[in-house]
Amino acid sequence: MSAHSSAQTPARSFSQVRNELLDRMEGFSPAYVAAVAACAAVVAWALFAWGYQIAFGIGHAGIRRPVYWGFYIVNFVFWIGISHAGTLISAILRLTGAGWRKPVTRAAEAITVFCLMIGALFPLIHIGRTAYFYWMLPYPNDRLLWPNFRSPLVWDLTAIMTYLTGSVIYLYLPLVPDLAEIADRSTGRKRRIYRALSLGWTGSDRQWQALERAMKLMAAMILAIAVSVHSVVAYDFAMSVAPTWHSTIFAPYFVVGAIFSGIAALVLVMAALRKAMRLQDYLRESHFANLSKLLLLMSLVWLYFTFSEHLTTWYGNFPREINVLNVREHGFYGLLFWTMVVCNFVIPLVLIGISRLRCIPTIVVSSVAVLVGMWLERFLIVVPTLSTPPLPSAWGTYMPSWIELSITAGTFAAMALLYLLFVKAFPIIAIWEYDEGIPAR
Amino acid sequence: MAEQAEQRDPRSEQRVPQWAMAIDLDRCTGCEACVVACASENNVPTAGEEEAARGRAKHWIRVDRYYEGEFPDIRVKFRPVLCQQCDSAPCEPVCPVYATYQNAEGLNVQVYNRCIGTRYCAANCPYTVRFFNWFTPEWAEPLGLQLNPDVSVRPGGVAEKCTFCAQRIKRAKLDAAEEERELADGDVQPACVSSCPAEAMVFGDMGDGDSKVSKAIASGRSGQLLADLGTRPRVFYLEKAD
Amino acid sequence: MDRRNFVKLVGTASGGAVTGACGKKSEQIIPLLVSEEEIEPGVEQWHPSICGDCGAGCGTTARVMAAEREIEVDGERFRQQVAAIKKLEGNPADPVSGGRLCARGHAALQSLYNPDRLRGPMKRVGERGEGRFEPISWERALEEVSESLARSAASDPGKILYLTRPQASSRSATVARFLESLGAPPARSVGTGDFAAEIEASRRAFGWAGIPVYEIQDSTLVLSIGADFLGGWVSPVLYSRRYGHMRQGRSELRGRLIHAESRFSLTAWNANRWLPVWPGQELALALGIGHVLVSEHASPSVAEASEEVLATFESVDLLQVSEASGISIEAMRETAAALAQATAPVVVAGASMVRENSADALTAACALNVLLGRVGEPGGVMPPAASGTGLEDARPAAQGWEARLAEAEIVFVDGVNPAYNAPSAGTALTEAGTVVSFSPFVDDTAAYADLILPDHDALEKGRALVPDVSPVPAVSAVESFVSPLYDTRSTEDVLVAVAEAIGKPIEAMDPASVLGGLHQQMGSAATEQAAFVREQLRQGGWRGERRGSQGAGQTALGSFREAGKRGGLQFQAYASVQFGEGAGANRPWLQEMPDPGSSAMWGTAVEVDPGTAAVLGVTNGSMVRVESASGSLEAPVYVHPAAIPGVVSMALGQGHANYGRYASGRGANPMAVVGDSREAATGAIVHGPVEVTLAMSESRGRLIQLSRQDRDEAPHRV
Ligand code: SF4
Ligand code: SF4
Ligand code: SF4
Ligand code: SF4
Ligand code: SF4
Repeated sequence: MSAHSSAQTPARSFSQVRNELLDRMEGFSPAYVAAVAACAAVVAWALFAWGYQIAFGIGHAGIRRPVYWGFYIVNFVFWIGISHAGTLISAILRLTGAGWRKPVTRAAEAITVFCLMIGALFPLIHIGRTAYFYWMLPYPNDRLLWPNFRSPLVWDLTAIMTYLTGSVIYLYLPLVPDLAEIADRSTGRKRRIYRALSLGWTGSDRQWQALERAMKLMAAMILAIAVSVHSVVAYDFAMSVAPTWHSTIFAPYFVVGAIFSGIAALVLVMAALRKAMRLQDYLRESHFANLSKLLLLMSLVWLYFTFSEHLTTWYGNFPREINVLNVREHGFYGLLFWTMVVCNFVIPLVLIGISRLRCIPTIVVSSVAVLVGMWLERFLIVVPTLSTPPLPSAWGTYMPSWIELSITAGTFAAMALLYLLFVKAFPIIAIWEYDEGIPAR
Repeated sequence: MAEQAEQRDPRSEQRVPQWAMAIDLDRCTGCEACVVACASENNVPTAGEEEAARGRAKHWIRVDRYYEGEFPDIRVKFRPVLCQQCDSAPCEPVCPVYATYQNAEGLNVQVYNRCIGTRYCAANCPYTVRFFNWFTPEWAEPLGLQLNPDVSVRPGGVAEKCTFCAQRIKRAKLDAAEEERELADGDVQPACVSSCPAEAMVFGDMGDGDSKVSKAIASGRSGQLLADLGTRPRVFYLEKAD
Repeated sequence: MDRRNFVKLVGTASGGAVTGACGKKSEQIIPLLVSEEEIEPGVEQWHPSICGDCGAGCGTTARVMAAEREIEVDGERFRQQVAAIKKLEGNPADPVSGGRLCARGHAALQSLYNPDRLRGPMKRVGERGEGRFEPISWERALEEVSESLARSAASDPGKILYLTRPQASSRSATVARFLESLGAPPARSVGTGDFAAEIEASRRAFGWAGIPVYEIQDSTLVLSIGADFLGGWVSPVLYSRRYGHMRQGRSELRGRLIHAESRFSLTAWNANRWLPVWPGQELALALGIGHVLVSEHASPSVAEASEEVLATFESVDLLQVSEASGISIEAMRETAAALAQATAPVVVAGASMVRENSADALTAACALNVLLGRVGEPGGVMPPAASGTGLEDARPAAQGWEARLAEAEIVFVDGVNPAYNAPSAGTALTEAGTVVSFSPFVDDTAAYADLILPDHDALEKGRALVPDVSPVPAVSAVESFVSPLYDTRSTEDVLVAVAEAIGKPIEAMDPASVLGGLHQQMGSAATEQAAFVREQLRQGGWRGERRGSQGAGQTALGSFREAGKRGGLQFQAYASVQFGEGAGANRPWLQEMPDPGSSAMWGTAVEVDPGTAAVLGVTNGSMVRVESASGSLEAPVYVHPAAIPGVVSMALGQGHANYGRYASGRGANPMAVVGDSREAATGAIVHGPVEVTLAMSESRGRLIQLSRQDRDEAPHRV
């Protein structure tokens, strides 16, 4: 741990804070360049894999009858889930006026936007005829063909588009004062760009009031949207007649899982930022401690839902559902199942629940475990049910091919890459939030 | 069981046929002639060994078989399974682009050109009778000469399944129109039905109480597969007598 | 293209022969289907044809429509309009198919349009059996054949060997004429579908010539001993139709089926009771049931049986036959009692798997019908219906070709594949003189040929054929209606040309002359003959009246060779629903059709009972090595839930050394393990059993199954 952890943070003036945070955006260290190059290479490979799949047939992926949905849908649910890190957490904290949220919110909101961008790609990667994805959109056409509004996929599309739009606005609004700040400090083309991006922000009272009102409103709205988005993603499954998918618990279960994995992702991103950008004074132990408590709480809630889901299925003893349960809890999938339980429950409980063990490294380890566990959870929801349709004659298994593995790896790299670029373009901590207390106006 | 509402053509005021199939499991021998007949009629491509090993073989109709008991008191329970043309089809509402829908005659229609390949329908079909074109199908020269011109060859990336041989229904209607007569019971014979050596399958208009299929459905041995799901299939199975 | 041009196109292809049979349905040609409302079918015509894929000879109809193909002429590519066959259906007028077809019948189209068909005559360039050939012109090829044949005919016509299928057809009649003019011995049939034991048993038990016809549709209880009449055997389509009727075709009367076989075949699937008889012990079972009938059920019919028949069954030791067959005395008693009590029982005697004593076993099984008084009775067993064409006289017999093969100076291989079906034939073919094959493919046997003179596909040819079994006297007869795709020649024409070249001219037997002869024989006015022939060709053949009852003729059961029960693991090969005796293996539809029992695609499995599998430590897909005194094979295991403990079965079909892209080098040929034994009385190829050892194998292979789950319930519950 760094020396800062025990030392009291020295008081800083607003201009100190501002200079420090803006300086962090300058310069490209060799490590940074290497990281960007590495991520870009993995992303490029994934794009090649996708291109290969489009050009030579989606059959090159491993999906097969009866597991018609595989890694792509797993990743879709996973990334849309993580996207809840941001907006939702930031909005909850903002609405409840949690003072410690200041250095956390922007990092979180950026996660949301990037995860949504990545997650929303998966339906395109998944479908057989990517070129016609827009047929899902309700656009006017002279054949008077409309999408089927009864299909949860169309609800998905609507929900995700709304969430993405909302999240971009929600990320952008509190960026505006900082963009103006950057414009003021720069020259030439950079100044013009940031000036334009800051939308004529002058910092007038009227503007501050408008911004605050807008943020409050957006925070309230985004909360509702976020809950609805993952509910709708859950409906993709719950509206089916497939054993164990057709479940009333799925919407809240998915939302809980989403927030759970979202917090874990946030912790991971914060730890990386703290280390790489030397933000120890901003992202303090207390932030990690607070988030870890939230993580542990969600772990317990997740366990409760998982337990309820499995208990009712097991006790209900409907043969078709028991068949799915058997597949999920035995054999190879059983290994994954118990790994999931360890990752999502045992590890956080031990490392965070036991206060002596709780420190940034253990919190980070717990978060990694939770991300692995939640990915497995998505997998164990999608695949075993499809492997075990109502007629046993159709039972089958699924193995991903190099294409699915490459694209999955590529999305993690894409996330890192987007973040790497973002921190050089925008201050990752809202500068003006440190300005609020200073009676400058 | 067969409480489908009577449908009338809005223009001609004629009763629209309500297609249904009955499969007598006491006649069916499990010979799979229907399986090959369907492939031959409907341009169902052969996946090949590698793809079949990966679960990509397409059988619009298959014969499910389950062994019961142990030697020597062993029996086998078997049943040809094709698209059940559900009246309340789980595959239909989930399709985001209306590529699959129920038509007035009770057919669960698949519009290949409209399909974008989400495979949602396939994931939600409880009978697992939907198939997906993982690749653009190919036929080694000159196998393609056999392709039925009444049936489209489905491109890569779209879903497909048994159509109740929609092209044969259409042809029977055209023939009847040309001969200036009404469609008679037995005029429509899907490929599997007309092939079945045991004469186990009956196809016809269940809206017509006198049709063979209606009588088979009313025979008292008739039931539907996974009836508890409420999918209201148009395929009826006459259970084996013992 | 308008209708007139289309008809012209088809007309050209058919040589103008049967356009009268064509039904024009619609005038639009709009190919693609989207939804039902948008389908606009094109012009279609239906022509009668005959399925050539097994001896049942089902009458079919072929749907002919326009198609385009690319051809190359002098290096330039052209698009050519052809009349293509799109679909085969049963011919409703045919008494055998009744408008229905089996899986193999449909797949006959993939023989016609098989990408591996030979495009013209070929001459061997590699070693015998290697399968390397180069094209040769028909003129050159015919010259070479004529030269060899002339030499043989001059030196020793006895050393001319013609191997062909056992069917009675215009083809076999032409072959008979050809051989006769050369002074050569008659043609021999090779293969597992020759039903020699059935014919021999029919002769002994009933005094009939040919395969008996079982009226199961009108019977109340069917006992089948060894006849998998639903999965294959002589006429699966005919008997499936009759079975369906037996079960549900009569109001208030549902027939029952007891099936005795050493394998859980389709017929066993459908039986009310399966008697799992130990392989090779079908005779013991028939004797046991007959003994109970004679000693415990003194019905009038038993009393009427001849002294010889009664004596044969009376002397049976029930305990001994029960132990040998593995069927308890109790089960034999129950079966006999059921037969005795049934109002209309019938015993179907068949050797789906031929044993060394099959003729004896079938004779005993046939004789049960004598005991039951079911010969010539409604719902009983009927004599074969003589077609009246005389084609039956040209039916090649199975016996005695092996010894002559290696010494033959010239061997003609026509429609059969001895190198696949009889493992030793390969060696003999290496030693034989000139080998001429008429195969449309380079198959296992053609690979040994010096010259391959590819015949047209069966669908491209006019033929007349007497079905193996028919409820009424019948001959199927059709003219060709599509032009041959490639530079192939009808084997009949080749024989005529060769005979002509060596100065021993013959006339080919063609469908019109078969029908003409029939007309003459029926004593009708000669002026009507042309019209008669035309009309029968339009309907795909001639069918006579259903016969009245007819009892047995001379009965002479003879003495039986009882086989002692053999211990150890017993291995047997069987003809599968998909591949028959192996010819179906190059049709992709059949390769991908799941095996009814194991659900296997693109491969055949070694079927092992669960107990033996547990001892060996193998599960589905494990590779095993099966070894007998004759040979060995390696193949994946299917743990068959209904396999008789200790009995290992494997379908014929895979393991072709040469047979095109879909079959070559795929899987294993069970005949390698079964070896080369012959049925004692008839010389038919035996399918086992042979004693084998089974061991796990390290070799790579896999079992591809459509349904891996063979039980309805989950393997374990939480
Ligand atoms: S069987 Fe499946 S594909 Fe067919 S209508 Fe019903 S749900 Fe749809
Ligand atoms: S695969 Fe095609 S038909 Fe099926 S739901 Fe998707 S778009 Fe609709
Ligand atoms: S009705 Fe037609 S499409 Fe459906 S299984 Fe039968 S042959 Fe195939
Ligand atoms: S063709 Fe008829 S008898 Fe054969 S499996 Fe199909 S339905 Fe059954
Ligand atoms: S039984 Fe099948 S293979 Fe044999 S002739 Fe009939 S259709 Fe052809």
